[in-house]
Amino acid sequence: MQEFKSLKDLPEQDYFTGGSSTCAGCGPSMGLKLALKVLGPDTIIVNASGCMTLLPLYPNTPLKVSWIHNAIENASSTAAGVRHGLDMLGNGDMNVVVYAGDGATYDIGLASLSAAAAKNERIIYICYNNQSFGNTGFQWSTATPYGSETKTTPRGKDNPTGTTVVNKDMVKIMGAHRVYAATASLAYPVDFLNKLNRAKERDGFSYIELLGSCTAGWNYDPRMTVRISKLAVQCGMWPLYEIENGMLTLNKDFNELKPIDEFLKLQGRYRALPQDDVAKLQSLINEHWAELKEYNGKRYV
Amino acid sequence: MKQTLVTGNEAAAWGARLVQPNYIPTFPITPQTECIETLAQWISDGEMSGTYFDRMESEHSVMSAAVGAAAVGARVFTATSSQGLLLMHEVLYIASGMRLPIVMATISRGLSSPVTLWSDHNDFLDQRDSGWLMLHAENNQEVLDMVLQAYRIAEDPRVLLPIMVNMDGYVLSFTDEPITIPTAGMVKEFLPEYTPKHTIAKDRPITVGPPVLDEYTLFRAQNHVAARNALEVMEEVMVDFDRIFGRRYHLVDEFMLEDAELVLVTQGSMSTTAKAAIMEMREEEDIKVGLLRLRVIRPWPASAIAAALKNAKAVAVIDRNVAPGKGGIMLPEIVETLYHLDRRPLVSSFIVGLGGNSQTEHKVKEITRKLIVDLETGRPRVEWNDMNNNDNEGL
Repeated sequence: MQEFKSLKDLPEQDYFTGGSSTCAGCGPSMGLKLALKVLGPDTIIVNASGCMTLLPLYPNTPLKVSWIHNAIENASSTAAGVRHGLDMLGNGDMNVVVYAGDGATYDIGLASLSAAAAKNERIIYICYNNQSFGNTGFQWSTATPYGSETKTTPRGKDNPTGTTVVNKDMVKIMGAHRVYAATASLAYPVDFLNKLNRAKERDGFSYIELLGSCTAGWNYDPRMTVRISKLAVQCGMWPLYEIENGMLTLNKDFNELKPIDEFLKLQGRYRALPQDDVAKLQSLINEHWAELKEYNGKRYV
Repeated sequence: MKQTLVTGNEAAAWGARLVQPNYIPTFPITPQTECIETLAQWISDGEMSGTYFDRMESEHSVMSAAVGAAAVGARVFTATSSQGLLLMHEVLYIASGMRLPIVMATISRGLSSPVTLWSDHNDFLDQRDSGWLMLHAENNQEVLDMVLQAYRIAEDPRVLLPIMVNMDGYVLSFTDEPITIPTAGMVKEFLPEYTPKHTIAKDRPITVGPPVLDEYTLFRAQNHVAARNALEVMEEVMVDFDRIFGRRYHLVDEFMLEDAELVLVTQGSMSTTAKAAIMEMREEEDIKVGLLRLRVIRPWPASAIAAALKNAKAVAVIDRNVAPGKGGIMLPEIVETLYHLDRRPLVSSFIVGLGGNSQTEHKVKEITRKLIVDLETGRPRVEWNDMNNNDNEGL
């Protein structure tokens, strides 16, 4: 299997071209553009209702691969049908790739995702995690981190914290399904693309979660997408790691994490977050990071 | 061809077996379960080698997977009942909007709450406006025959719509009846191989299910036209079915209507009971009563229904369902169909057999006698049968 060393190793051919109706600086769009370079033309994208559903708008599409959108909670079961339909009709060499947001993944679509993973269907599932229900205008999901403001967890006199729920550990949940589960970041594209490349070669289910920064919801300057993605990794907010056969590998290690402030201060969603809550968020991050360090190279789930 | 005793569930499974679909996504629910268990066993035994049997985690996922597989050109079969059919509801619209010729057996059961395991038609009729074509069988032979016909209708390029074949839970699903199982050769002659034109495949990227702006009306109108086209296709298919299998079906089932002044309008298995009662009433009491059974619910065969009822003086629409706050679901459909006739019959409404309450010949005779009274007084009635105190006031 080919291992990418740098972005120069990537094919020039793009399967995500002009004409998309997503926002400038949209992390999930950039993620799909990169992913399709690895996945290639024999790919079917199965989309869950969300921001990326707006990529094609009849009669136009920016994609040069097939694309099917069913509803929000059923991307995994749709993909299972696509997979077995293709296999039965002799098109088994096509990639079936789910591209779904965190609301569709962590919340409403969890049952169908869990079943497809448990059955180890030959599907690559990419969750673009913008930490909210993004397409409806940035509402809380169970992927929203503690302290983030959203439209349904607004800061106010009685609730200065915004989101008071600590987000799910979805990668761990998926790892417990005995499938390949990994995180990825736009700021580390070679790591992302090699993970996809391995998922493509696997004879079973793969789950890759890409931090899909959202300029509108996170409220930042669209030029900062890659910088914010990088800071998320460097602050330990979005560690890069993978779980295979229950074993954990930390893909990007740091001796010391940058303080979370550096990530928070660039984004409107954390504006006016009380210092106590910043401290709580920092301790949650430290705890998760310590856990990942402790289990690096060992059985995690 | 062989004669054998099978349940309604097995008859539906036999239909699927003869068609050999590529993909069967499933989830168990009473009273459908036996249908998918039968298929699972056949597939395990290697009797259906071209079929992938998939166990999903919900009926919502069953229909989602059916959509996925049909979108890449697979022939798909599935089955469900009751709450499961309702859980699929959202995706039913998506399947018809994508013009995917999925075939599904539905096995009717009343809806919660309160819980009932027994049959009525609310689950099936709740899907009335989903864009699916809808057939309703009277007996187990018809279940099998309808599954075969359903693929021909759904896959016709003039139609390309999903279709459900309904049978009554318990009354048919778990009751053995002697049926004729056609040979594979006959089915092959009747049903050509499916070669979808618009499908996701290698080297031919397409987009399925994107958002639209102003074109939404156009797509909905195309759906409507396709469903209307199905009437003509159904007639052709039924003629061809008769040629190969020797059983002649029609859009509506007419029983002793030639001289009937009183007509009972029914759906599903209670029609058999009603037919027996009608024969007795004609013989013993010389009442000119006949029956019109609705075989095709969508598309609505308005002309066939109007033609069948044109000589009726009084009609009893017997609804095994209810739209609370309105009444029987089929009543307004029949009334609307009769509205444009030169001479309209009196139409009374009877709501019967909810949650599996059995439909006896005695009840059918009662309804007929009430219809005679209505004709004499010139006043139609709305009546709920099977009420413990038989108090219909205010209904």
